[in-house]
Amino acid sequence: MGTKRSWEGQPVGLHVKSEMNTSESANSILSIFENFRSELDEHHDRRERIIKTSRDITALSKKIIFALQRVRATNAPIPPKIAKENQTRLEQITTLFTNIVPDLQGINAWRYRSISSGIQEYIEAIAFEHYLRTQTLITHGEVCARVPTGILVTEEDYLLGLFDLTGEMMRFAVLALSSGNASTSTSTETQTAETTKQLPHLSASQAGIVFDLRAMRASFEELTVPRKHNMLRDLLKKVEVMQNSVEKVERAAYGILVRGSERPSGWTPDLSVPVEVGVE
Amino acid sequence: MIDQRIFEDLQTKIDEESAVRDDAPRKPFSRGRIQRPVIMKTVLDDATASIAAQKEEVARLKAVANQHPFYKYNGVWSRELQNLVASIELCAWLGGLQEHKGPNSASFMTIDDVGKYLDVLVNLKEQDAFHLTIEEYLLALISMVEELSRLAVNSVTLGDYERPLQIGNFIKDLFSGFQLLNLKNDILRKRSDGIKYSVKKVEDVVYDLSLRNLIPKSGAAV
Repeated sequence: MGTKRSWEGQPVGLHVKSEMNTSESANSILSIFENFRSELDEHHDRRERIIKTSRDITALSKKIIFALQRVRATNAPIPPKIAKENQTRLEQITTLFTNIVPDLQGINAWRYRSISSGIQEYIEAIAFEHYLRTQTLITHGEVCARVPTGILVTEEDYLLGLFDLTGEMMRFAVLALSSGNASTSTSTETQTAETTKQLPHLSASQAGIVFDLRAMRASFEELTVPRKHNMLRDLLKKVEVMQNSVEKVERAAYGILVRGSERPSGWTPDLSVPVEVGVE
Repeated sequence: MIDQRIFEDLQTKIDEESAVRDDAPRKPFSRGRIQRPVIMKTVLDDATASIAAQKEEVARLKAVANQHPFYKYNGVWSRELQNLVASIELCAWLGGLQEHKGPNSASFMTIDDVGKYLDVLVNLKEQDAFHLTIEEYLLALISMVEELSRLAVNSVTLGDYERPLQIGNFIKDLFSGFQLLNLKNDILRKRSDGIKYSVKKVEDVVYDLSLRNLIPKSGAAV
């Protein structure tokens, strides 16, 4: 191995040469990276704008949901005071969406999915409002119609939004169950029980929400999501929360039904609707 | 009053999306291990052949991926593509793929060179089509740096005392390049934080060699 050379060979000449090479290539590397820097900055700025918008939308949507939790009746128009309050919030959300549309065009629609959490919260809000008004589930198409064009609402957003909706429905149902109580049946239904005592029933709106929640749970559970699907991770958590919510409502309904009759006999809910639906 | 159709539609959609995932070819990108200078040419030829084969896989992937929004499934292949680009860069730096280097590229291939070689677009901002992103390219460079730091150690073991110096200079240049970037708390940041350890590893080798006067001083040294 002729590796060890004389120190005095021409160390200076070589040095200069290699240094020149290095600085030349170093310069080209630096200019390449400066270019990358501006590209990445652009990306990070856009990402931050979108995250901020998403958070703002989430906050506004949460406020809408809080307001809606003060509503007491399903299948009826939202009380004007709450409706008006929410209308301004909805307008703010629309503005936020509209402002972010340019950042989410074309290829970027799928790149910056950080907007998704805002969209999900918004879906939760409008789905809840939709449910309170009509006692039906909002469809994906209806959701899409309520965001400005250019905002992509995926089925995944929609589905995850619906999961969150069950949580809100749970809170609503528990409140509804405890404020209105099971009205003792006044219907002429014949009872199979030997006792002459009338069996308690839930009021129609109370029964309806319990029924709907159970139907939603059944449908959610029917969905099979393959292991590889990337929404699976979020989904497993949400399924668990959803199951808990539904069970809470089931137990609450049961409790009201069975123990509600033990309430003072003179106590009747003011808004009691004629009983039509019994919960089996 | 829950419309069953809503859920049926969702199921269809989920099934469709999974089908796409299965479609995208998974590519086991192998890396050429290049060590002995004596057999460098053979190794480079092997690596080039293997890279060329993977280039065809990329073409297949491109065809499948182009039917869908790019960023929707990007994560499925991003890692594999990075590995391939890292192999390409390593091969090019060691002297392979010369004809594909651009005229003013230094010792490595620029993102445009790589794009041209693989016949894929790079760094698209508007158009929604298959491409190599800047992040993927940078992550590939980091992988190359990590491989080079191993090579610095191994080339000494194999009697090549000159290469650690070249590697050291090159990755220090890259390192200063990476320091120009404003990185946020993401994968790129995490990986590029690791470059300094690679640099240190190579510097240690160079230090050991120079301490013992083992670094060849003349250009003629092998």
